[in-house]
Amino acid sequence: MEAMERQIRLTVNGQEHELTIRDNTLLLWLLRDDLKLVGTREGCGTGVCGACTVLLDGRPVNSCLTLAAQAAGHHVTTIEGLATNGRLHPVQEAYIEERGFQCAFCTSGFIMMTKALLDEIPNPSEEEVREYLSENICRCAGYPDILRAVQNASRKLAARGR
Amino acid sequence: MGFDLLEPRTVAEAVELHARDGNAVFLAGGTALLILQRQGLPLPRRLISLRGIPGLDEITAGPGGGLRIGALATLRQVERHPLVVRRVPLLAEALRQVANVRVRHTATLGGNLAHGDYRLDPPAPLLVLGAQVRAVGIGGEREIALAAFFRGLFETALQPGEVVTELAIPPTPPSGGTYLKYALSSNDWPCVGAAALVALDDHGRCREVRLALTAVAAAPVLVRGLDELARGEPVSDRLAARLADIAAAQVEPVGDQRGSEWYKREMARVFARRALLAAARRAEAGPVGDGTKEPVA
Repeated sequence: MEAMERQIRLTVNGQEHELTIRDNTLLLWLLRDDLKLVGTREGCGTGVCGACTVLLDGRPVNSCLTLAAQAAGHHVTTIEGLATNGRLHPVQEAYIEERGFQCAFCTSGFIMMTKALLDEIPNPSEEEVREYLSENICRCAGYPDILRAVQNASRKLAARGR
Repeated sequence: MGFDLLEPRTVAEAVELHARDGNAVFLAGGTALLILQRQGLPLPRRLISLRGIPGLDEITAGPGGGLRIGALATLRQVERHPLVVRRVPLLAEALRQVANVRVRHTATLGGNLAHGDYRLDPPAPLLVLGAQVRAVGIGGEREIALAAFFRGLFETALQPGEVVTELAIPPTPPSGGTYLKYALSSNDWPCVGAAALVALDDHGRCREVRLALTAVAAAPVLVRGLDELARGEPVSDRLAARLADIAAAQVEPVGDQRGSEWYKREMARVFARRALLAAARRAEAGPVGDGTKEPVA
């Protein structure tokens, strides 16, 4: 039995889209299959690994647990939307400088969570960073580098006046 | 396998839609339902989304103290709301321990309760706070004490077609509270969760003791009969141990991958004792509640 279809409008990385989707389409699949924004990854599919993190109206959510229909009329930001004018976002630069990744499967999720964290708490303590990122999973286990990348990103953003 | 998503604009419309299809299920944040679907549990043909109904996520001060929390408020909204942090810090402390920030930005407090899962964290603090659930169905509106809300495994007092619209938390006496979660990892469901609230008199003796436990029975447990033993007694390790024994006798654990029946009962005893002592220490250090910072006239 096929789900109903509907037309939705949503803004992804500042660009407005009008799309036809099925009611049961997940935001993750709309981004990857329809918009070809494949930087958003599927890890666990159940909200516990963080690889599919995107920002919905600036707040981090699991795109694997969000229906595309629920994003209609809202603003979605993915990893592809962070760079401006060909220049990487300070959070992205920080991850590169600190080598906060190995295989990089989890990296876009970590970077989106870090962006959300620093938007919410510009100068987080290590405790706050650990709590905020506590359910982003890195199987290469490069966590110390990731924690350094977050602190580095915080300093960069402060230096640039955000 | 698909479903249709219906998006009513009012609670009345949502209830009406359910009356037309009794198999339909209400969808709030969706984190629980979409995981169930992912795990292979077929969802019904129609989901009635409550997210588009304006005003259902408001958090406001209650009359004479306490507060009202709209059912569609996300866990993150609740945990960071200044009224919650000031009046019921116990609730904020517990919500900070649920899953992860992303899930808390999506999952709602009303959805969490209506889901009726036996191992969720929020029911424990809400039980000791004496919360009341407001529900609307085709026959009208009613209030259900949370203590009478959880009936069994994934079973609540909600009738088919009833929607949780609001949670009312009454004023709390000046007291100390805490929520202790014992889990395999910080983001996991608890093996046991213990919420305690302790109010002391001017001499540091127990005036009121409340304790609720989650994940150690088919439904969250509000422990009965603690005041009879505790009232007028000074806080001590021995008193806490005796109260914890009462608590352990009232749980009926379902063994799961986070602990066997025996283990969960013993951990319920341990964490009940620790939570009571921690709450009492906070009550001694500086109680919070409607009688302290915002005196009730």
